[in-house]
Amino acid sequence: MTQAIEVSSLVVEYRTKNGQRVDAVNDLSFTVQPGEIVGFLGPNGAGKSSTLKALMGFVVPRSGDCRIFGLEAGSLQAKACIGYLPEVAMYYPFLTPLETMRLYGELQGLCGSKLIQEAKDLLARVGLKDAMNKQNRTLSKGMLQRVGIAQSLLGQPALLVLDEVTSGLDPLGRKELREILKEKQSEGTTLFFSSHELSEVDMLCDRILIIHKGHLIEERGMVELKEDLRKYTVSYVGAASLLGLTENWSEDEGVCHARFTEKEQLVQAINRVHIAGARVIDVVSQEGSLEEYFIERIGRAA
Amino acid sequence: MKFRIYRALARGVVLESIRRKDLWVVAILGFLIMMTAGVLGFFGIQGLQVFVKDLAVSVLGIFGTIVAVLTASRMIPEEIKQRTLYPLLARPITRFDLLVGKLIGATVVSWIAFLMLAALTALALASFHVGFEPIMLQYLLCKMLGLAVVCALSLALSLYMTPAAAATMSLIFAFGSGMVVHALTMSYSAASGPAQFAIKALNSVLPQFSLFDLGSRAANLHWAPVPLWVVLFLLGYAVVYSAAMTLLAWTKFRRQAL
Repeated sequence: MTQAIEVSSLVVEYRTKNGQRVDAVNDLSFTVQPGEIVGFLGPNGAGKSSTLKALMGFVVPRSGDCRIFGLEAGSLQAKACIGYLPEVAMYYPFLTPLETMRLYGELQGLCGSKLIQEAKDLLARVGLKDAMNKQNRTLSKGMLQRVGIAQSLLGQPALLVLDEVTSGLDPLGRKELREILKEKQSEGTTLFFSSHELSEVDMLCDRILIIHKGHLIEERGMVELKEDLRKYTVSYVGAASLLGLTENWSEDEGVCHARFTEKEQLVQAINRVHIAGARVIDVVSQEGSLEEYFIERIGRAA
Repeated sequence: MKFRIYRALARGVVLESIRRKDLWVVAILGFLIMMTAGVLGFFGIQGLQVFVKDLAVSVLGIFGTIVAVLTASRMIPEEIKQRTLYPLLARPITRFDLLVGKLIGATVVSWIAFLMLAALTALALASFHVGFEPIMLQYLLCKMLGLAVVCALSLALSLYMTPAAAATMSLIFAFGSGMVVHALTMSYSAASGPAQFAIKALNSVLPQFSLFDLGSRAANLHWAPVPLWVVLFLLGYAVVYSAAMTLLAWTKFRRQAL
């Protein structure tokens, strides 16, 4: 099957002001399947934007290969499949959102009343119905981000590449964006986005890629990861030995709380509590924090 | 398809330029020309038609060139700086398409400014009972071709140097073209064989903006227009030189990391 994105041994370098060559991305390889939502995570300067720029053909890699649906990244055919939202999106200050959409739509190969209608529909969808005829310079940062999201959806692209997608959006805007992206996924669109908002990643992604200093350090499915991060607590009254299962336990006013990272340990613990004649009074399954995991993973790689 | 791309890009440049009030300076200048003409007319200074006409074509040429240089030289660097380039190049267009579209936009802006000034100048000349003769129309047409070349040169230079340096260099070329050609001609007659070849080569590479300036002919009263082949030659020169400048710009821009 042709992958939506295929990156093999990608090396992207840039030159510093004093002429030194620095690798922004180093030997990076990954794939994204059609229809997937993949979050691309990493600390500042990890190489996320450089990778996305290589996918769009904005920078020429020193070596390696990037393919979009089997097509060479940066080629006209590849770009025709992509809707792209740049990091810190800026749009012509003296054009209106509708004129901006018309400009990008015409470059996309759309035209006429169909383009205008699609542009109006998308602007309304991102909450700019009343602002589509105001000049961009009068819009707030969040509203400009909405213009950016709308332009990336023009022409119903098969792949959305979004750099810092939630930047500048308020909680309501984020919720609306999530709905739009989920809707796009249900239509079969592939989503590849970078974000520092781990809660968004948590709610949206099927899979995450973590990059650090230009290297891929983690690639995990979200279901599997959430299961791994899940924490279990059993609270009981009475005497029971949980030796060998956990060392993480505490006692509070006669109630013991034992904590586990594996579901299997929890089941064994409940059995032991029953056998010992103690009484289970509560079992809690708690989702783990993606943020903690991210920080721990980056710390380990540093 | 290409035409649609160029039209969309050029329309964006023109709309931005108009709304940014870049052309207001032209309108103010036109107003000053009208006022000056009115004052001269009020005091009844007669016999100054040639002087006024000469002044008018000089002002037209200078301000048209300044608008062309300033518009074209800052366009691409500003797009890169403001990051407006990314959503454009994310579309299925080549970097060459982008350069051509932007160049057309800058040329149209400079033509609008030039024609606005020309219209106001025509009104001012009318107050001196000086009509718009065919040579004047030829002057306008040739100057517009020259402005297209100025835009192409400024655009190309802006990719190799800072916008300020590109604007300065373009203005030096545009206004100093006549002097440079004169100096080269003098040097050529004094030079030996290989040096003459080098001067010839240099002369053919440098932009010959003075060719497009029919101002000294147009300033005179009742001068006959130049033959059609001259205008056609200038058209050909403008097309070839602008294409060469666009290719020069593309050579730098096509692999430039953004």
